[in-house]
Amino acid sequence: MPNLTYLEAIRQGIWEEMERDPTVFCIGEDIGIYGGAFKVTDGFIDHFGPERVIDTPIAESAIVGAAFGAALTGMRPVAEFQFMDFIGCAFNQITNMVAKAHYRWGAPAPLVIRGPSGGNVHGGPFHSQNPEMYFVHTPGLKVVCPATAYDAKGLIKAAIRDNNPVIFFEHKYLYRRIKEDVPADDYIVPLGKARIAREGRDLSIITYAAMVHVALEAAELLSKEGMELEILDLRTLSPLDRKAIAETVRKTNKVIVLHEDVRTGGIAGEVGAIIHEEAFDSLDGPIVRLTALDTPVPFSPPQEEYFLPKVSDVVREARKLMAY
Amino acid sequence: MPMAKKTKPKASRSQAKGSAARQSARPGSAHQRAYTILDYRLEKPRFDLRQVKDGDTVRYEVSGKLSGPVPPIRDSKYLNKQQCIEIYRWMLLNRKMEAVLENLYKQGKVVGGVYFGLGQEACSCASAFALKPEEWLGPLIRNQGSLLVRGFSARDVMMQYMAKAGSPTKGRDASSHFGDIHKRNVVAPISTLGDLIPVLAGVALGARLQEKNIAVMTYIGDGGQSTGVTYEGLNFAAVQNLGLVLFVENNLWGYSTPADMQFRVKDLAERAIAYGIPGIIVDGTDACQVYDAAHEACERARRGEGPTLIEAKMMRMKGHAIHDAAEYVPKPLFEYWKKRDPIVRFEDYLVRVKKWLTSEENEKIVAGVDAELDADREFAVASPMPEAETAAGGAYCEGGCHEIEPKYAMPKFGTSKAARLKRSEAAVHLK
Repeated sequence: MPNLTYLEAIRQGIWEEMERDPTVFCIGEDIGIYGGAFKVTDGFIDHFGPERVIDTPIAESAIVGAAFGAALTGMRPVAEFQFMDFIGCAFNQITNMVAKAHYRWGAPAPLVIRGPSGGNVHGGPFHSQNPEMYFVHTPGLKVVCPATAYDAKGLIKAAIRDNNPVIFFEHKYLYRRIKEDVPADDYIVPLGKARIAREGRDLSIITYAAMVHVALEAAELLSKEGMELEILDLRTLSPLDRKAIAETVRKTNKVIVLHEDVRTGGIAGEVGAIIHEEAFDSLDGPIVRLTALDTPVPFSPPQEEYFLPKVSDVVREARKLMAY
Repeated sequence: MPMAKKTKPKASRSQAKGSAARQSARPGSAHQRAYTILDYRLEKPRFDLRQVKDGDTVRYEVSGKLSGPVPPIRDSKYLNKQQCIEIYRWMLLNRKMEAVLENLYKQGKVVGGVYFGLGQEACSCASAFALKPEEWLGPLIRNQGSLLVRGFSARDVMMQYMAKAGSPTKGRDASSHFGDIHKRNVVAPISTLGDLIPVLAGVALGARLQEKNIAVMTYIGDGGQSTGVTYEGLNFAAVQNLGLVLFVENNLWGYSTPADMQFRVKDLAERAIAYGIPGIIVDGTDACQVYDAAHEACERARRGEGPTLIEAKMMRMKGHAIHDAAEYVPKPLFEYWKKRDPIVRFEDYLVRVKKWLTSEENEKIVAGVDAELDADREFAVASPMPEAETAAGGAYCEGGCHEIEPKYAMPKFGTSKAARLKRSEAAVHLK
């Protein structure tokens, strides 16, 4: 099994889908000869040709609109956004044109919008955001946030095969920092299914994307104190795996929801509400939210570090909740 | 009869030939600047509108030549007698259907407002008439006539307005907000303007990836063309050389704001120059001019020669929607354009000028349209409202509700065996 980075796993996933299905094509800014700002599609244009790896003007609404139009003819476009921070430029196309199409007039939109999101790379307010919740809030869209290389490949393949518009948030901090053995053959990770990233009995951490690794590190430390954290990696934020959320709460009775997104309107609020609806009687303590601050993502390293949830924050909150 | 100068658009010609449709992504000889804007009109009205203070109020005042003779219909280079009569019938159906909608509204049977294309029927119907069945159209709110030409019935439109269970969107959306990806190839519009432009460009892209150059048509108004997505979409179509036919329907009013406050160029067709594509001006009240320009643009699209911008000049003869009495429009403008009514003039052309219709034949057409509308109205009024619970579900395509298949043909792509999946890590943005 090849040992792949998170980025290489995504690259392999898209590559394999383009090999197996001629209706799949890539469209975006600088994705062709340059291979994309982060080189996810490096080499694609040489192999698949410029007809299927289309460089566009800097026009995000045109990219999404064109992808949707092509999808209406039965194609499966994979549109790259250079940074997910720029997705606001195409907000109307995504939330009004694409997301509502199936409900309004029965037009499926099998397209993927993918790109790097997330901070901890000192990218500043416009290259570090986590804009996923705008889209979780929009019925008709699916939202995927992989945390591992294995999942990244399996989820991008599932997203491309899905008959719905999928917004695929790749975490740029993870692109080259994590590596694992990824099967070279064809597999998918189904959308809407969470994953237990670590089994535990004492307390659950519900999280996704880069924060899964923060939670795992904290769990290692706390394990030495005899505290066994269970970590639930949501994998997709829409649809949310309500069953898995309820199950882990029933098992541990205490929950921290951890995310890199800002606090207000983050998925933690939604997860908390689901716990109340599905497993209120199982709670032995308050649902704790551990999130970024309600500010833009600051640029300077000490500020960004303060802004983001850290291992030490998880350790502190977990100890406090255990003692509750 | 004064004739517009017949010059060929100095458009770029694609290098693509025959089945090499996919290779036509780049215009061939874009080096020659194309500053010619074709103008098919037989009359070139020029008005100025300005805001003037009138006692305690501010109103619009029009100046310019408002007393000229009404121009004749220009003979089409392409339409035969039968086709002209067919377009005339669509225009009649368009107008009379909207009169029915107005009555239904007054009877309290319509949910929400009603939008009209009064005065714009030639533009809607003759443009859509230029498309082939396998080609695509994205209508705006005033292009209800285009929907009829594409194969929807008046009852579909009526049921949309009455929010009936049997409407094309099953009650989920209103007015002309519906489409069909299977048979009629119509993209449903959304309320914001310009968003259809990149979508229709994408339809042409999807077709080209399936080795078929098709014409795709959509519309934008003098108001809507101010939006950013209009630029993004048309520029994308131009760069990719996609067969988009964009009608810029300059009906002089964006809701209550006159065209003079939307843009500074004299003619919106001039914008074509900046996109590097052919631009044409037509009299939007002359079905033959509209058709000829649309037909030529569609033929270019089918040859893989890229998009065309057609400005159709006319006037919106009602308010923005039924609630709006359009009292802000200076009366002389209404009087001027009323004399240029697209249906009255086309009828006169067919009956008196060309003698292609006798009065009796004409009356028969009118009676046929009326009978069709009567039946459709009765059906639509009697049809049920949706069950409340049908509001739920359907936001996602799941459970095998749709098979996704290429519309035209499974794309055939070669791959380069030498180029392999890369593992190397190059220098990148934000390590």
